[in-house]
Amino acid sequence: MSDFFKGGAMRRRTFLKGAAGLAAAGAAGMTFPGLARAQTEGWTLANSLRSVANPYHATFAKGGEDFAKSVGLPYEVLVTEGNSEKGIADIKALLQRTGGKLILNVDPNDSPDARVIVEEVKKAGGYVVTQWNKPDDLHPWDFDPNYVAHMSFDGVPTAEAIANALFSAFGGEGGIVALGGILSNVPAIERKLGLDNAIAKTGGKVTLLDFQPADWNEQKAFDIMQAWLTRFGDQVKGVFAANDGMGMGALEALRQNGLAGQVPVVGIDGIDAALAAVEAGEFAGTVAWDPTWTGSMGLAIPLAHVAGKIDIAKEPKEHREFYGTGIIVTKDNIAEYKANPPKVDYNDLWGKATGQIQYRG
Amino acid sequence: MTAGSARTSASAERLRQWAPLLVLAGLCVLIGFFNTNFYSFGNLVRLLNSAAIPIVLCMGATFIILMGSIDLSVEGVVALCAVIASLLVANDVNQVAIGLAAVPVALALGGAMGFANGWLHIKLKTPSFMTTLGMGFVGLGIATAILAGLTVRISDQTFRYLSLGRVFGIPMAVWIALASFIVAYVIQERTRFGRWIYAIGTDEVTARQAGIPIERTRILAFTLAGVFAGMAGVLAAAQFGQGCALIANGRLFTTVAAIVVGGTALSGGVGSVVNSVIGVLIVVVLANGMVLMGIQPYVQQGVQGLLIIAAVALALDRSRLAVVK
Repeated sequence: MSDFFKGGAMRRRTFLKGAAGLAAAGAAGMTFPGLARAQTEGWTLANSLRSVANPYHATFAKGGEDFAKSVGLPYEVLVTEGNSEKGIADIKALLQRTGGKLILNVDPNDSPDARVIVEEVKKAGGYVVTQWNKPDDLHPWDFDPNYVAHMSFDGVPTAEAIANALFSAFGGEGGIVALGGILSNVPAIERKLGLDNAIAKTGGKVTLLDFQPADWNEQKAFDIMQAWLTRFGDQVKGVFAANDGMGMGALEALRQNGLAGQVPVVGIDGIDAALAAVEAGEFAGTVAWDPTWTGSMGLAIPLAHVAGKIDIAKEPKEHREFYGTGIIVTKDNIAEYKANPPKVDYNDLWGKATGQIQYRG
Repeated sequence: MTAGSARTSASAERLRQWAPLLVLAGLCVLIGFFNTNFYSFGNLVRLLNSAAIPIVLCMGATFIILMGSIDLSVEGVVALCAVIASLLVANDVNQVAIGLAAVPVALALGGAMGFANGWLHIKLKTPSFMTTLGMGFVGLGIATAILAGLTVRISDQTFRYLSLGRVFGIPMAVWIALASFIVAYVIQERTRFGRWIYAIGTDEVTARQAGIPIERTRILAFTLAGVFAGMAGVLAAAQFGQGCALIANGRLFTTVAAIVVGGTALSGGVGSVVNSVIGVLIVVVLANGMVLMGIQPYVQQGVQGLLIIAAVALALDRSRLAVVK
């Protein structure tokens, strides 16, 4: 369901540099210093995700690989290619092959998949962390200790914050248009809710001229933006996009009409192109996730349990179901963000967690 | 057959031929009724701009469908050509910067993939459906592997001029689409190859007995479709200023839908590249119009589906239809 990640969350080179540094640190035995080798011997680490064709998941997979290298354990990447059956079958096969000694960090293709995956892993005696998608009534503490944790990002406050950045970019008064993701996706719903909240709080100063779902698709966003320019003309003071990919599509449509940089755009994800657009003054901001963190910490937490460093069953609920941190990047902090890209400290297991997951209505 | 029924079937035939154009005209009147901005020069340019890449894609794909085959490799070929073109012009991943020379390279690559489609389809006697589906995955796979799933950004402004530049107020992409149409139209109307495609699509056995080189024609048609897809890849890269494996997402459906809506039959032998241009315009005008008319996003997809069914129902030539599958 995290289809919306069409772009990378970090500059590729900075990322590779950082990754090399972390790997070196790991090789020098700096990470997991007290880790008793015997306890983790024979375990396999795996990340299961949609596809390595999108920058978010590509970086996610790389984050896991770097962590695996740092602890010297074998690492596998499983891809669902958007197919739940394939995702689950691959996980079962890997559980079989590793005799259950598997630490799995999974972004389930669809929410219901999470339950099947958790049950399979528990049966085999492995450990699992889920990301983004799970049914609301499925909780890690009901499957102690095998279902280690669920990690997600809260779309509501994130979207609200980035919408406010957009409003201030055009002076806080006027009409905006908004591009949403696939209507049934949880992140799409949350981000729309955040936008609605932000608009409501302006007390009528900002109005939503139109909302259209562009299904996380850049091309679709481009075509819709073109139609909006015909329909609303210069009434459009700003463009809200529920992800950067769609934001880039809208930006290119603005560019074709000589409006790039004049009508501010905001997106979510922090892909390379969006960061460059923030620098160029064409994007008013974006939200940078940290897929290196999700890709590595989803393995580091269960491994810490296996190594006896923590007892996951005794951890509080906010360590079992938690939100990660999104960084709002605007022209004010872009230089600083690029100079200090987010780093991952494998020993600080919950350092970037921001509160327990909330379930809305 | 009585004179009366002959007249009826002749007028039905005329209606069938003109149906796509009537649908397009009807849509334009309807949308203009709700929003007069629809007819503005600015919107006309925007419509053509949105239609440019689908038109280029449809030019090649029409020949394939006219033969009664299908090319499902569109997204893979476009994505790989866009990624390769992006990596050959000034970009943020490597130091290569061959400028516009990247265009012929992308076209050649598209052509090579199309040739592979045709050659495998003919030599291995595999259905075009499966062969091209596989080739599409190969293209997407290579595009993904080259960039490790990330995106390459283009800084070459001359290359981007292929989409952003304007001549007489019309974007370059539209001129390129127009040129593609002329090339395809000439091939269809003025070459033996063009006639052979119709012959193969109408009845391959008769065409073979008439001495038409079926295999060579088929391979050439797939190669040609690949070249057009390569051009679409170049335009997509120039339009978005980037190349990535996902750049062509959703293109396959638009292409096939536009061709069918335009009145080209999936069974082969009936249709033309002119129909395909009208088909693309119908799809693009409809998408634009639904936003202009403020139709609820929730019902837009349904309207699109109904229109496709209506257009096909109007345009289908039922006289040659022995059975409906």
